[in-house]
Amino acid sequence: MFDVNELILKKAKEIGFGDVVVLSYETQRRQVRFANNEITVAKNWHYQKSVIFAEYEKRLVSTELTALDEKIIEETLKMLFKTAKAMEPKKDYYGIAEGPFEYKDIPETFDKAIVELDEPNEYVEIAINSALEEGAKRVAGVLYTDYNKLYLTTSNNVEAFDEGTGIEISVRAFVDDVASGHGTNSVRVLKKFDPESAGRKAGEIAKLAVNPEEGEAGKYDVIFDPLAFANLLSYMSFMASAFAVEAGFSFLVGKLGQKIASEGIVLKDVGNMPNAYGTRKFDDEGVPTQETTIIENGVLKTYLLNTSLARKYNTKTTANAGLTMPRAWNIYLEAGDYSKEELFSEVKRGIYITNVWYTRFQNYVAGDFSTIPRDGTFLIENGEIVKPIRNIRVSDNFQRILESIVALGKELYHIHWWEVRTPVFTPYVLVKDVGITKATK
Amino acid sequence: MHELVEFAVEKALELGAKYAEARFEEHSGVSIFMKNGNPEGLGIRADRGIGVRVLVNGGMGFASTNVLTKESVSEAVKKAVKLAKATSKVRNRPIEFSEERFHEVYYEVRMKKDFRDYSGEEKMEYLKLIEEEVLNSGVNVPMRFLSYQDWIAHKYFVNNEGAKVESVIPRVSITYNLVVFEEGQVEQAPFVKTAFTGGLELIEKAEPWKKALNDVKALHRLIKEGKKPPEGKVDVVISPEVAGIAVHESVGHPYEADRIFGREAAQAGESFVKPEMLGQKIGSEVVTVIEDPTIPNSWGFYLYDDEGVKARPRYLIKDGIITEFLMNREYAYYLGTHSNASARAINYDREPIVRMANTYLAPGDYSFEELIEDVKLGVYMVSFNEWNIDDRRYQQRYIGREAYLIENGEIKHPVRRPILEITTKGLWSSVDAVGKEVEFYPGTCGKGEPGQGVPVWMGGASARLRDVVLRR
Repeated sequence: MFDVNELILKKAKEIGFGDVVVLSYETQRRQVRFANNEITVAKNWHYQKSVIFAEYEKRLVSTELTALDEKIIEETLKMLFKTAKAMEPKKDYYGIAEGPFEYKDIPETFDKAIVELDEPNEYVEIAINSALEEGAKRVAGVLYTDYNKLYLTTSNNVEAFDEGTGIEISVRAFVDDVASGHGTNSVRVLKKFDPESAGRKAGEIAKLAVNPEEGEAGKYDVIFDPLAFANLLSYMSFMASAFAVEAGFSFLVGKLGQKIASEGIVLKDVGNMPNAYGTRKFDDEGVPTQETTIIENGVLKTYLLNTSLARKYNTKTTANAGLTMPRAWNIYLEAGDYSKEELFSEVKRGIYITNVWYTRFQNYVAGDFSTIPRDGTFLIENGEIVKPIRNIRVSDNFQRILESIVALGKELYHIHWWEVRTPVFTPYVLVKDVGITKATK
Repeated sequence: MHELVEFAVEKALELGAKYAEARFEEHSGVSIFMKNGNPEGLGIRADRGIGVRVLVNGGMGFASTNVLTKESVSEAVKKAVKLAKATSKVRNRPIEFSEERFHEVYYEVRMKKDFRDYSGEEKMEYLKLIEEEVLNSGVNVPMRFLSYQDWIAHKYFVNNEGAKVESVIPRVSITYNLVVFEEGQVEQAPFVKTAFTGGLELIEKAEPWKKALNDVKALHRLIKEGKKPPEGKVDVVISPEVAGIAVHESVGHPYEADRIFGREAAQAGESFVKPEMLGQKIGSEVVTVIEDPTIPNSWGFYLYDDEGVKARPRYLIKDGIITEFLMNREYAYYLGTHSNASARAINYDREPIVRMANTYLAPGDYSFEELIEDVKLGVYMVSFNEWNIDDRRYQQRYIGREAYLIENGEIKHPVRRPILEITTKGLWSSVDAVGKEVEFYPGTCGKGEPGQGVPVWMGGASARLRDVVLRR
């Protein structure tokens, strides 16, 4: 599609635009949804589109084109230009990156075997059966296969191509209405795909969760399963964006250089990680993706930036464009040195939370939030799981949670599912004195 | 385009589909963003494509394409049929649809002030009005994120059972996030939206800039005069806005038949409601909750759903009794009844699934003063920030943003973040009186995988909850 990109760029420059970015996509995506141990629907999507971002004397306009013939391209650009000319300038716009750049191939991001995979239903059956073998009665979930091609052309000498594949599954297993467990597996190459582990984990937790008792409110030491902590960290992916900080959607407002997490916590965004679902060779301006340390030893080092925001703050882009809104690619919490058993043995009386959903904020800038454990939730006494509990809510403050991390598992898990849209790598995490509440009537 | 949609259905039947539907959708519109006084940019949306859904051997397949050629649509149909065949092998029972009466119909929502006739700059004026009101309020509001959005959804739906439904629905909205900083304290009104189906005249009548001014003044007063809310068993009067989120989360969602039957189990969750609970008591007899897509100019408006079924008001709770679930054709068939037109898809590339439209607590016969006058000690919760509910839709929490103490029948000073954390049955059983005046608030309801954020209204009348536990 570079011919389309070049045509758009040429026409846009002729009309009078300054900075121009054209990002074209060709996407083949397949989905198999299942519930009650059977497939409910299978889907296939085919997209072809060009996203255009254009600037005229600091006036910014954007659009997505799905019909790509010359006449429509020309009409659209003229309309965009007319619109841009009538707008007020964005005073704090400082341009896009100057190319060209060199790109390295990132291992394990493309696999022909996924492109050629005819029929993924067998993987669904593997996941369902492994959950049932562990004792589940009902299994639900979703499987995706992805094949994406990205073509980027900018007015600042960038021409870049990336091609990626992926396959992933999310499995939720039930023994009864209130005993459930969840497991996921997301990879970029077929030979690493392990739907069985996802099904098995979902089934194991569901079985352990049978006959839960009502939980009690209070302060507890909480072990967050990677699935649960990934949900919280996925909010970091948005909140770390300089855009979210400026717009008042982040508790990181005004905290650069300050300690916001416990000693030793290292949180990164890694755009170029092999076999990670969010990995891309370049950001939307063509800057090669990189590893960016957001939190180092508990201290907030940087927000996620594009070129314009970086220039505004006299620093360098972190290769996270999004042109108006920088965004994370893969959020990565560095592992610690605890085995899962050692982590549990640290807890005298606490709770193991295997999954959460519905994280919402009272106040983004203050960071006060609550989130609801779903699936197996367990009371821990003297390092052992003693019983499943239910109907509790985590009600706390985001920064306080980060500051109260006392131990991290030594293995990292890659989490990406419906509730965790930006992929997250996280270990098991032990947090001290987490606020737990529950409904009273 | 009409021919292409009809071709898709015929092609699917040729390839062996027992049921086939095709839906063309075109969305065109404008988004404008402004952050802290800076125009962030203007986005133009021009998006169209065709989605095809089929049943073959009791399996369901869906495919879509945005390449609108006969070849590409034909390819999508083939894929949908192939997927349906393959999935039918991993099913315990075939999928069947309820029988419905279908229509050939065209409808549209007309705009008095057609937003297509106005430039980006003219639309930006609405955001500037918010900026002006807020900056002239005398309150320190350092973070302001504002957005304007409009789009026209043009749809054409055809199935092999006689439905041909074409619609043109314009939607317009304004959203703001405002952060008030005073005396080292921060309060926030995030994602506050004003939204309608219709033209700019509706935005102008609703005056979101005045609402924004009220919000920052209320937050400022909260910082200056706010005190701790009472704790323990008190009465709580909830406004139409709070009643709206409560009916949406704890009545609308758990009454969605696909949740009840487990189809959403891995994503949006299941439901505490079971099919046999129809006719059971869930709230006090003053509680009636209605779901109605047909309210003119409502954010959740439609007259035919995305399976071509004619819409009507649905009584989810009548006088405290569970009376009806939200259903599409698949679940109506399982329940041995007809669909009540709850199937919605957000775009051509999404399957229609069971959704809400406009959910509200039906009015009672109390004036607002009567709701307040015999409350000895309580809280009036006007708006909320944090809210959530478990995935069976039973244990929920709402935290007041603007809220006031009620003492001896009078509204007193603001209170900070009163927390109502309660079960669904506890909530609706505690209502002893409902106000006369109904108001609606727009929202985007998330469900489905991949996610489908559909426009909905939530609202109703104010309601009084007796003896509920409030926390702080």
